[in-house]
Amino acid sequence: MDLIHPHTKADVAEALREASEAGRRVLPVGGRRHMDRGNPTEVDAELWTTMLDRVTAYDPAEMLAVVEGGMRIGDLAAMLSEHNQEWPVDAPSDATVGGVIAAGVSSPRRLKVGLMRDTVAELELATGDGRLVRSGARTVKNVTGYDVHRLATGSLGTLGVIVQVALKTRPLPAATATLVTSSGGIAMAEALLAEVPLPAAVVAEPDRVTLRLEGWPDEIDEQSAAAYAVAELTSVPSFEVAWPDTQNVVEATVPPSRLRDLVGTAHAWTALAGVGLAWLGAADEAELARIRETASALGGIAPVVRGSGGLGDTSLPAPEVQRRLKAAFDPAGIMAPGRFWGGI
Amino acid sequence: MPDIDSVRRALTDALGADAVLADPLSLRLYARDASLVEGNASVVVLPTTVEQIQDAMRIAAGHGMPVVPRGSGTGLAGAATPIDDAVVIVTSKMDRIIEVRTEDRLAWVEPGLFNLDLSTALAPLGWTYAPDPSSQQVSSIGGNVNTNAGGPHCLAYGVTSAHVLAVDVVLPDGELVRLGSEAPEAAGYDLRGVVVGSEGTLGVVSRVCVRLTPIPPAVRTMLLDFAAVEDCAATVSDIIARGVIPAALEMMDQGIVRAVEAFVHAGYPTDAAAVLLVELDGLAAGVEAQAREVEGAARANRVGTIRVAADAGERALLWKGRKSAFGAIARIAPHYHLHDCVVPRARLVEILAGVYEIADRHDLIVTNVFHAGDGNLHPLFSFDRNVPGTLERVLRASDELVRMCVEAGGALSGEHGIGLEKRDFMPLMFGEDDLGAQACVRAAFDPDGRMNPKKVLPDGARCGEFALAAAGTDAAAAAADALPEGTWI
Repeated sequence: MDLIHPHTKADVAEALREASEAGRRVLPVGGRRHMDRGNPTEVDAELWTTMLDRVTAYDPAEMLAVVEGGMRIGDLAAMLSEHNQEWPVDAPSDATVGGVIAAGVSSPRRLKVGLMRDTVAELELATGDGRLVRSGARTVKNVTGYDVHRLATGSLGTLGVIVQVALKTRPLPAATATLVTSSGGIAMAEALLAEVPLPAAVVAEPDRVTLRLEGWPDEIDEQSAAAYAVAELTSVPSFEVAWPDTQNVVEATVPPSRLRDLVGTAHAWTALAGVGLAWLGAADEAELARIRETASALGGIAPVVRGSGGLGDTSLPAPEVQRRLKAAFDPAGIMAPGRFWGGI
Repeated sequence: MPDIDSVRRALTDALGADAVLADPLSLRLYARDASLVEGNASVVVLPTTVEQIQDAMRIAAGHGMPVVPRGSGTGLAGAATPIDDAVVIVTSKMDRIIEVRTEDRLAWVEPGLFNLDLSTALAPLGWTYAPDPSSQQVSSIGGNVNTNAGGPHCLAYGVTSAHVLAVDVVLPDGELVRLGSEAPEAAGYDLRGVVVGSEGTLGVVSRVCVRLTPIPPAVRTMLLDFAAVEDCAATVSDIIARGVIPAALEMMDQGIVRAVEAFVHAGYPTDAAAVLLVELDGLAAGVEAQAREVEGAARANRVGTIRVAADAGERALLWKGRKSAFGAIARIAPHYHLHDCVVPRARLVEILAGVYEIADRHDLIVTNVFHAGDGNLHPLFSFDRNVPGTLERVLRASDELVRMCVEAGGALSGEHGIGLEKRDFMPLMFGEDDLGAQACVRAAFDPDGRMNPKKVLPDGARCGEFALAAAGTDAAAAAADALPEGTWI
């Protein structure tokens, strides 16, 4: 396995151009935090983005941070928190910005902070054939041209390397609270969701439910009071969402009201109520197949995010459009071949 | 050259005579949207079902005809103006709410449904559809999806894209595909994300699955007036700097305030240099806390009076002033040209000064009402196009305006889109490879280039070859001269 460790985005483009010409297959790698996502892929080289870790611009008043794709989440969070802001993704601190975007991971607090994909204002992609392609703008709002960056988001490195992004930041909440129940289940989570106005997250597990509140201090009091009317709760110091402690974890998503049916058959799970996302432990291939069958029947998908098993054989919408896009950005087919949905 | 008569006959046979218009008056009516650009249609189709959209698309494909999708036609950039004798597919008759599932926080709607009708229907259930373009009484959800529409409340809630879970799209060959999902993630590249905002160039949106947002328990609407525009703009930045993201933060200058006040009598202060309409929402306690911060920021910037809407009636009246701004300016002159560009918030004051200077120099009346929190300006030139030379001055001023905003680090459009009006400005923001990649996105959906041709991308932007025509250098003429053949202003 060769290693490409470029210093600049121009170097990335150059390396990819050469790789395309040579037919050398490349896997972009950031903090190695999302390596299990996607189907197994065979490559000739890893391209490490971690030296692309510069801050291009950060203007707290504009709530926009322009950073390179290899910047570590922890470094970004430290810079933003000095100005009481955050990029709300809740990824591990050694993950990279580009890795989080390529993996398409949103915050468990998304009821409050929204989806990661909507925070990417501008993105520059080094395409598989070595062009630097920028889309979007460094403004809060923008509808100029096609949102090529939407395609790179969640693309698992199969179109190119995310070399630079402008991220929308948000103010850190003035107050937070994390409350935990002594009994679990989806029903308990849904009861809290129904009674507590505008929570940031309601995380259900078999034996407990974690309620995350963020806002102004008086707001938290109001929300907490509503929560205490539903269940007995204990305050805990920090908010952490733990995946099931199993070798293989599936991230299944279904319409929110179908969570109950989704987790019903699993032995270990963590679910985001009101969102329709659950991390399920899959002990073996049979259990993985069962989870996928259930998710599919409920109108969702079930890719593996830890361990083996890949994305599954969900059929792709508009497969020809997807293949043409792949061919346009990576004509030589060198970017993480086969890692994406539909074997793209 | 396609045989237009045989296209009309095939459409009439397939969809019925009621769904096909080809008389001169109808063709004239659908020859433009709300922009200044007029084109020409060969036939107008008004489908009532998804299958009829598919039939129309197959017939157009079979005859090699260009297709222009259209909702209510309120677009301001010419994206729904047909050119090259296109088949216009109007989705206005498909205006049903198909289902509302609050337990899944979603609703399925047809594309012709008016934006406001959706929120009105959801309100009794305690939910809303957040994007609220000023045209919401008559603009359709399908049109909103195609322009990635914004609106005053997008400051806190995000634009249309953040509220569209899935779209059913009829591709140029007639195939129906569902992009996105009722579930929070979907397989494949985010094609939903590129269709939203694609201005009808990738296919016809035939159904939309929207995300529902809970109606916040408390709302407070405040009207702040200032003796200096600079103080008003500084207040906007200070509010954000204090960690407050209001649901809406709208600024209006004296010209627009006077026009609006004469129109709706909302009690807007006509002697103020600028007013700020601030809406806060959330939990009652949170609204209270935010209001303290807003007042603090305003007082630090020499606010005149702070008027707080006492009840829903007064709140509606204050908003009526804002949302009827474009009706109100009809009192100033018979025609208007409404702009839309985005700049960094911190540069609002200087850009605004630039707007006045440009208008002065071209002897034009300009008023300003805009989404200040987003840095999204809407300078509005009022004029009478029947006075010789006026339109040319408007276009010249518009050109300078766009360039000023882009040079300030802004973007060509915050919410109206590119369409025909701004396609030749695209090279101001994007290089050849950027535009080439955008052309690839388009070609992936529409390899024959029949969907709403000549919109969004400048002539010469091509997938693969990256042959881009020289960017319009002399501006002045650009807006008028660069229009495709067969269109006129």
